[in-house]
Amino acid sequence: MIVADNLTKRYGDKTAVDGVSFTVAPGRVTGFLGPNGAGKSTTMRMIVGLDRPTAGRVTVGGQDYRHLRSPLTEVGVLLDAKAIHTGRSARNHLRAMAATHGIGNARVDEVIELTGIRSVAGKRAGGFSLGMGQRLGIAAALLGDPHTLILDEPVNGLDPEGVRWVRQFVRHLAGEGRTVLLSSHLMSEMSQTADHVIVLGRGRVLADAALPDLVRTWTTTTLLVRSPRLGELVTALEIPDATVSAVEPGAAQITGITAETVGDIAAARGIPLYELSPRVGSLEDAYLALTDDSVEYKTKEIA
Amino acid sequence: MTALAAAPRRATHPNTPRLSFAHLLKSEAIKILTLRSTWWSLGVTAALSVGISLLIALATSGMGGGMEPTNVILAPTQFTMLVAGILGAIVVTGEYSTGMIRSTLTAEPRRGAVLLAKALVVAVTMMVTTVIIYAVAIAATAPLLGGTGIDWATPADSIVPLALGMLSMACFTLMGVGFGFVLRSGAGAIAVTVGVLFVLPIMLSLFSIAGPDWMWVVEAGKYLPVSAAGSLTRAGATDLVEPALTMAGWVIGPLLLGWIALRWRDA
Repeated sequence: MIVADNLTKRYGDKTAVDGVSFTVAPGRVTGFLGPNGAGKSTTMRMIVGLDRPTAGRVTVGGQDYRHLRSPLTEVGVLLDAKAIHTGRSARNHLRAMAATHGIGNARVDEVIELTGIRSVAGKRAGGFSLGMGQRLGIAAALLGDPHTLILDEPVNGLDPEGVRWVRQFVRHLAGEGRTVLLSSHLMSEMSQTADHVIVLGRGRVLADAALPDLVRTWTTTTLLVRSPRLGELVTALEIPDATVSAVEPGAAQITGITAETVGDIAAARGIPLYELSPRVGSLEDAYLALTDDSVEYKTKEIA
Repeated sequence: MTALAAAPRRATHPNTPRLSFAHLLKSEAIKILTLRSTWWSLGVTAALSVGISLLIALATSGMGGGMEPTNVILAPTQFTMLVAGILGAIVVTGEYSTGMIRSTLTAEPRRGAVLLAKALVVAVTMMVTTVIIYAVAIAATAPLLGGTGIDWATPADSIVPLALGMLSMACFTLMGVGFGFVLRSGAGAIAVTVGVLFVLPIMLSLFSIAGPDWMWVVEAGKYLPVSAAGSLTRAGATDLVEPALTMAGWVIGPLLLGWIALRWRDA
C-alpha cells in the first residue's frame, strides 16, 4: 500500500508535483500515466526517498521509506535502468545490492535466471543494451522478494517476449496480493496490464479510477449499424442527442444511443440489421482526451 | 525470460534478509573490489611507491647513506597521496555519474550510514594496500641500504612513522571521499583534491618571495594536509598533536560537508 497525501515538489519556480494525493492498493496493478514532464518519475522518486517532498508526505506500508528497516524486502524499485555502475558486472551489481540485506548468492542466481540475463551476468553493465539493462534493473528490484513493486517504464526497450513477461509477471505478483505501481507510455500495453489507473498531468492527478471506468467516462461508445433500410432506421430512432455519420452506403456510425435501443426499434419496425456492433473507446482515447490540456511538450498535428 | 511457474520464492533463504551496518560494509566492500578503477588506482600507488623507494635507496646507497631509512619508504607519499585522494573521489563520483547512487540509496535510505560505510571501506582498503606496499618496499630496499636499514628497536624511528604514514594515506583517501560527496562530479572532486594536496602547498610557498609581510601565508601552509603528514611521519618527531589535529580537520571537514550535501540534497 502506497499512500500519497498532498505530495508536492517544487524546483525553484517550477512545480513538478502539485499537491498530489492517491492510494495504490495491494492486490492489483496500478498504472501511472501522464505526458512527459507530468511528474510521474518525480513522484516515484519521492516515494522511495530519493527526492525530499517540498510539502506533503508519502508512505509505503504505512511508513516513510527512509524509516524502513528492510527496504529491499518491502519495496522493489526500478526507477531507470541506468541506476547501475557501468564498470561492474551484472552479477557483482546484484551481489552488492543483495549484500546490504544479507541476501545470499542463491537468491542472486534466482533473479538472474528469472529475468533471463544469465548469459550476460558476468559482463560489465556498461555494455548492456537498453533491454538487458532493463532486465538487470528488474532483477535488482526482485532481490528482496518485495511486498511492493515500483517500476518506472519497465518495458521500455524490451523485446515483445520481455514485454509479455513483465505483463504476466506483475499480474502474477498482484495476484499474490502485492502492491504494484508501474508507469508506461505504451497505452495498449498498459490497458492489458493495469487494473487501476492514475493519470497525472502538469503535476496534478487528472484521474484515479479503475481502468474500465476511466475508459467509459472519457470515451464515447460508437455503434456501427449496417442495414439495407438505413435511412428508414435513422428516422425511426428519433433521438435528439444521437449523432449519426454515414460511413458508406448502408452503414453508419451512431453515438449517444445504446445498441439495445437500436435493436428494439429495428425489430419493432421490421427493419433488417446486418450489423450492430458497439465500438468501445480505448485507453489511449481516454488518455488523450484527459491530458489534452496538460501536455507540456505538444507536437503539432499533421494536417 | 523463464515461465511464471519458475518464479521461486524465498524458500532457499532461511535467514530473514535485513538491513544492518555490517551488511552495508560488506556491500561497499563488494562494490569497491569489483571495479577496475580501484585496482588501477591501487596498482599505480604500489608501483609508484615501491619504484620511488627503490630509486631513493639506490641514490642514497651510492652516496653512503644519510637519509632516514623510514623516509626512503615514506618519501613516495608526496606522489601516491594524489592517487589515494583521487581513488576516494572516484569511488563516490562514479556512483553519481552512473546513477548507481540511486540504487545505493534505495537499498539503504539512511544516508549517513552509506557515507560512513563507504568511508570505512575505502580507508581500510587504502590502509591494507599501504601496509603491503611498505612491506614490499622495505624488503626490496633492505639489500641496497645494507647496515643502514630501519632501526626496529626504536619505535619512534620505525613503526610509529610508518603507522602514521599508513594513516595519512587513509586520510588523503577520505578527503577525496568527502569532496566526492560535496561536488558529485568526478572532474570537480579530483580538481579540488589535487588542488588541496598538490597545488595549494606550491602556491602558498611562493609567498616566501613576497617579503616578510606575507610570511603568514607561508606559515599557513603548515596547516595543509601535506605538511601535516610530513610532520607526522618525520622519524623521531615529538610534537604529533598539532599535525594530527590538522590532518583530522582535513578529513572531518570534507566528510562533514559531504554528509550535509548527501543528507539534504535530492539524489
